[in-house]
Amino acid sequence: METFLYITAVYGVYLGIGVFVIGMAWRTYQWATTPKSPVRLGMFPKPKTGAARVLKMLKDTLIAPQSARIEPLMWAFAFAFHVAALGAFVGHGRLIHEFTPLVNWLGEDGMATFAAWSGGTAGILMLAAVVFWIARRTFGPFKQLSVPEDYLLLALLFGVIIMGDHMRFVGTIHAATYREWFQSLLVFKPEIPDDILRSTTGWSLGAHMLFTDLFLIYFPFSKLVHAIGAFSANLVRSE
Amino acid sequence: METQQMTTLAGVLDKKMNRQLKQYLDICARCAICKDACHQYVATQDFKYLPARRAELIRQIYKKYFTKTGEFVPALYEARDPDENLLDELYESAYACTGCRRCMYYCPFSIDTAWILSVAKAILIAAGKGNEMLGQLADAALFKSDNFEMFKDVIVDGFKDIELQVKELTGDPDAEIPVDKQGADILYVALAGAHSILPAAVIFHEAKASWTLSYFEAANYGYFFGDAVKARQIADRFMDEAKRLGVKEVVITECGHAYRVAEIFHEAWSGEKHSFKVRHILEVIDEYITDGRITVRPDAITEPVTYHDPCQVGRNGGIFEQPRNIVCALASDFRDMTPNREQQWCCGGGGGLVAISEMDEFRLKSGTIKAEQIKATGARIIASPCENCRLQMEGLNDSMELGIEVKAIMDLVLEAMPLAGSSAKVTPTD
Ligand code: HEM
Ligand code: SF4
Ligand code: SF4
Repeated sequence: METFLYITAVYGVYLGIGVFVIGMAWRTYQWATTPKSPVRLGMFPKPKTGAARVLKMLKDTLIAPQSARIEPLMWAFAFAFHVAALGAFVGHGRLIHEFTPLVNWLGEDGMATFAAWSGGTAGILMLAAVVFWIARRTFGPFKQLSVPEDYLLLALLFGVIIMGDHMRFVGTIHAATYREWFQSLLVFKPEIPDDILRSTTGWSLGAHMLFTDLFLIYFPFSKLVHAIGAFSANLVRSE
Repeated sequence: METQQMTTLAGVLDKKMNRQLKQYLDICARCAICKDACHQYVATQDFKYLPARRAELIRQIYKKYFTKTGEFVPALYEARDPDENLLDELYESAYACTGCRRCMYYCPFSIDTAWILSVAKAILIAAGKGNEMLGQLADAALFKSDNFEMFKDVIVDGFKDIELQVKELTGDPDAEIPVDKQGADILYVALAGAHSILPAAVIFHEAKASWTLSYFEAANYGYFFGDAVKARQIADRFMDEAKRLGVKEVVITECGHAYRVAEIFHEAWSGEKHSFKVRHILEVIDEYITDGRITVRPDAITEPVTYHDPCQVGRNGGIFEQPRNIVCALASDFRDMTPNREQQWCCGGGGGLVAISEMDEFRLKSGTIKAEQIKATGARIIASPCENCRLQMEGLNDSMELGIEVKAIMDLVLEAMPLAGSSAKVTPTD
């Protein structure tokens, strides 16, 4: 298990984050250096001021009210997924440093309960959304439109989430132990705590990280670059 | 197909590449939210008309030729060469699109599928597979300007005939259709035929406007064909005229795509800022009514009237209220369709489709939703400024027995104006 964990939860993490950061920067650089179309592609009605334009772009990107109107169910799952993913991302910040003010406020037990509930909810919402997306892509025009990339991403996400959920709902290791591991990565003195090596949950962490590493490595080469592109593309809508 | 030729075709994509296009090709989630935005897909349930699918064909070439991942693992993206099969699929998807951009309205990333398809058309043209009819119409327009001396007398004679009708209607023997008038305020660009000249001439006369009529028509088949150079040259014909005459504004007739070409595309294509304003005739008429420069009888029409927003005038041109103001000024029972304005359904007649006879059946079928919408209003008259829309709705009227009358807004205005001349109702024909 130690070797497996060193590959997925140490070297894989470095590689994954490295490829992700450089890849996204490269992609953004490519966009920024490609000349803009001289033709204005905006549609009407257009916001009158620059500030109103930015506000509309943020609304279109973060809430997508038009998409909600045309396919409410899809919108609901997509919205739930993205909010939950953001929540989960923020939650993982505990690996870097305990959210001390929150602990002071809620107390040790309160924090554990809060983390269990919020993390658990996010994990379930994400899982539900991914299952919905996979199911949706198995029939009719959605299937016809899908390409292997779509399934690959959903499969990787499914892996990330299901193993994350396993660690949260079944695993016996606590945040403090994971933090020890992650902080050791941050200072480039990687070490995997014995608690993890001795527990079967170690395998879950390994699998969670394997999927995460692959997901991060593939991310910049996939349609998920919409995480950045959505903002600029929606800004073009009102130019 | 030779590898060489396929590389050349992919090169067309490279030449047309810009930031927006690149982002559109990179970020589409293939979520298919755009599916039910497209009237053609909804009416036919045919996969090739699903907006994201149309764009996907271009994405397949892009992935294969312009991304490393697509080059090494094409299967992951279903990346393909622009071979005969792909081009045939592209032809059907691209030339069917009316460019209504309703899909863009609903897409969470505002992906402009019609813009991607303009590149598709450029690739098809480079492969010698552009739509023949649209290509011929574009060439005919350019032939007219290249051999202008040959046509000039015929054109002017035609204007003189219409001028007689203007005199009769206005009761003013000095009423005229000015042509080539240096220093006029307005250069009015009409369509071929009396129907878009006569009402405007009467309205300009009554408003005592300083105007002159362009020798050239506003319609632009180069734009529908997908050849940006020809499209620009076709628009240049009257833009150059406007420069030469020193007018303050170019006013485009009741035509959707011509207005968008003149107002939005032309400056970008020519790389030159206009020294004049570009306005749509309905903006001008609305202003004339508001300012009291012309009057219309408020109860001229008592039958229920509805209004169809042409995509290129409304969602893509920004003119929503002026036509409604005009119709409300002369009709007592105005009923909007649902949805309307920026969410309005395309009638199915745009994109040059009305000129392509092999598309007739498909085109009428794609108008089913529009027909239902019209029916639901209970209106007897449908007013709409775009000639393509009107042709389509007349087709729908016949094929689906809607029992409506399809009218240009200018014609309604003409009928509602108290004129000194002949009181007989005029229905100008070509
Ligand atoms: C912060 C900006 C982001 C915005 C505005 C955004 C918006 C969207 C929208 C509107 C869709 C299309 C609707 C859908 O397919 O559900 C979508 C799809 C998707 N997004 Fe995002 N997203 C963002 C970031 C991310 C991130 C960081 C991830 C990675 C976890 C992600 C993962 C996905 C996935 C996997 C899908 C596609 C699901 C499918 O296969 O259909 N998104 N996103
Ligand atoms: S709605 Fe937009 S992102 Fe979704 S498939 Fe259509 S074009 Fe792509
Ligand atoms: S622009 Fe209109 S016709 Fe073309 S794909 Fe989009 S919705 Fe369909």
